[in-house]
Amino acid sequence: MTELKLTNGILHFSGRLDFKTVAELDEQVSELLHKEQPTTIDVSEVVFLDSAGVAFLESVQDRIKSFSQAVFLQGASEDVKAVLTTFSALEIPPEPEVRKIGYFEQSGEDAIAFLQAFYQVLVMAADVFYWAILGLFSSKGQRRGSFAQQGLLLGFQALPVVSLLSLIIGFIIALQSAIQLRIYGGNIFLADLMSVSMVRELGPLMTAVIVSGRSGSAIASEIASMQVSEEIDALRMMAINPIRYVVVPKFHALTIMLPLLVVFSILVSMLGGLGIAVSYLDLSPYTYINRAIQVLSMKDIFISFGKSAFFAWLIVIIASHFGFSARGGAEDVGKATTNSVVASIISVIFFDALFSLLYI
Amino acid sequence: MSNKETQPIIEVRNLVGKYGDNLVLEDVSVDICPNQITVILGGSGCGKTTLLKNMLRLVEPVSGSVKFWGEEITGMEEREFNDKILSRIGMLFQGGALLNSISIRDNISIPLEQHTRLSDEMMDRIIKTKLHLVNLDNVLNQLPAELSGGMKKRAALARALVLDPDILFCDEPSAGLDPLTALSLDELILNLKKQINMTIIVVTHELSSIHRIADKIIFLDAGKMLFSGTLEAAKQSGIAAISRFFNAESHLNLTR
Repeated sequence: MTELKLTNGILHFSGRLDFKTVAELDEQVSELLHKEQPTTIDVSEVVFLDSAGVAFLESVQDRIKSFSQAVFLQGASEDVKAVLTTFSALEIPPEPEVRKIGYFEQSGEDAIAFLQAFYQVLVMAADVFYWAILGLFSSKGQRRGSFAQQGLLLGFQALPVVSLLSLIIGFIIALQSAIQLRIYGGNIFLADLMSVSMVRELGPLMTAVIVSGRSGSAIASEIASMQVSEEIDALRMMAINPIRYVVVPKFHALTIMLPLLVVFSILVSMLGGLGIAVSYLDLSPYTYINRAIQVLSMKDIFISFGKSAFFAWLIVIIASHFGFSARGGAEDVGKATTNSVVASIISVIFFDALFSLLYI
Repeated sequence: MSNKETQPIIEVRNLVGKYGDNLVLEDVSVDICPNQITVILGGSGCGKTTLLKNMLRLVEPVSGSVKFWGEEITGMEEREFNDKILSRIGMLFQGGALLNSISIRDNISIPLEQHTRLSDEMMDRIIKTKLHLVNLDNVLNQLPAELSGGMKKRAALARALVLDPDILFCDEPSAGLDPLTALSLDELILNLKKQINMTIIVVTHELSSIHRIADKIIFLDAGKMLFSGTLEAAKQSGIAAISRFFNAESHLNLTR
């Protein structure tokens, strides 16, 4: 049995000091020490000691010392001594103290880090544009067929999700507006409303948000994992510019595919509106379609396309930035992907607001 | 002639290098001589890989100078560096670093497409010979993920060798390989030196491998160069860190 007793300033331990017993002993010792401090610890009757026991003994010694008394350990058998030296923490130098960073210092550092990241994104954008324009004339340093492959992967395969969501959202908006419009007998204006809001705002915005979640994350995670597994370094060692090889095909592909997806998204959401117009507002399909086309100006269509291409660039550049800045292991790939999706959705919405203000 | 032979092929002077925010290399100066196998060794985290990456500008050094064939490469135009230096260098990365999305053939053809104007048929021939050289046949159309770790590494070596580089860098070639594969890799490295006079720089901490291949060793410890010279001289140098490193082996032999 493990026991302790305090007689004549000597703290006796007997039995086993191990992971199972020391927790209980620790409580007893704490109580004892408050009343009386021993000058010696006697371990002559300890039959077994493990690393928990050693930690316990050293902790007791430290606590007694904190009452400003020297303390001796006596009666250790050869076996106990061996375990003591193996697991002793006394020789280990203390960890250097980590300076705590205060709230203001932290926010300052975050702000600087943000500015640096912003600067890096600009540099990345300049690089990407340079190589993208050069890539229009020469496909050297790019893999054959990578443009088509990326177009398929980033654009075409996003078609089902984009059309499904567009149809549903078109349907919802049309329904909510139709209820209000019918009160005032302005049934025909549903076509105006759907056409203008979808072409100018919601089509590009929705599609860009969906694509940054779907394809932006794919780009970021692909580049980040290439960075982590040294594939990017390998490309550079083969005298290949990684931006040209990896980013430019995606840039070209998404610049073409995102506007096309937007066109598709607008058509499908107008279809949702048509459903409501015919079934709930008693409009004829011909009137609805005719009105929807009439109300659009060239400027609207131009802005819609311009926005979509711009969003495509945002998505690719932001995803590449986070991909290339990944360091370390698999965890960083996940982080890069998450950050990239968050940042690109925020900036897509931010720039959409800016566009709306510029072209009212 | 004799002058040319003794002239170092790579001269590194007072190199200071960072990895992330940490200063990993402090004032390292190294000479690499032609037609030798130079082994860079030292314990984990002593800056071996960082030295390699700084020498090759995969990480821009903080300060110092690196010369290849007498030409300063820090601050060299990217295009000039690519054409003059990188086309004569092969590198085997720690994990192979094959591009995972494309086949072994496409992986190995990248340097050929980048630096030559050979026909596809010629490229295929060269790729096949290089794969055969590393004892890897019938993998042309497979993806890297379909190969085992050792096969990946050998395929990566074939890619590093595809342009018959003058200098081959190997970052821990035998890490994570079984002893037999590691041995055959070492033999291959020795053959490359003997048969095509390649200059080879190997980063490793495998003692048996060091004994088999090293003409010259460079010993790093905590970002500083402790020793540069032959293996025997290193063992007799009496530098504590080096003796500890090599004694680890005799200790192992004893316990066996």
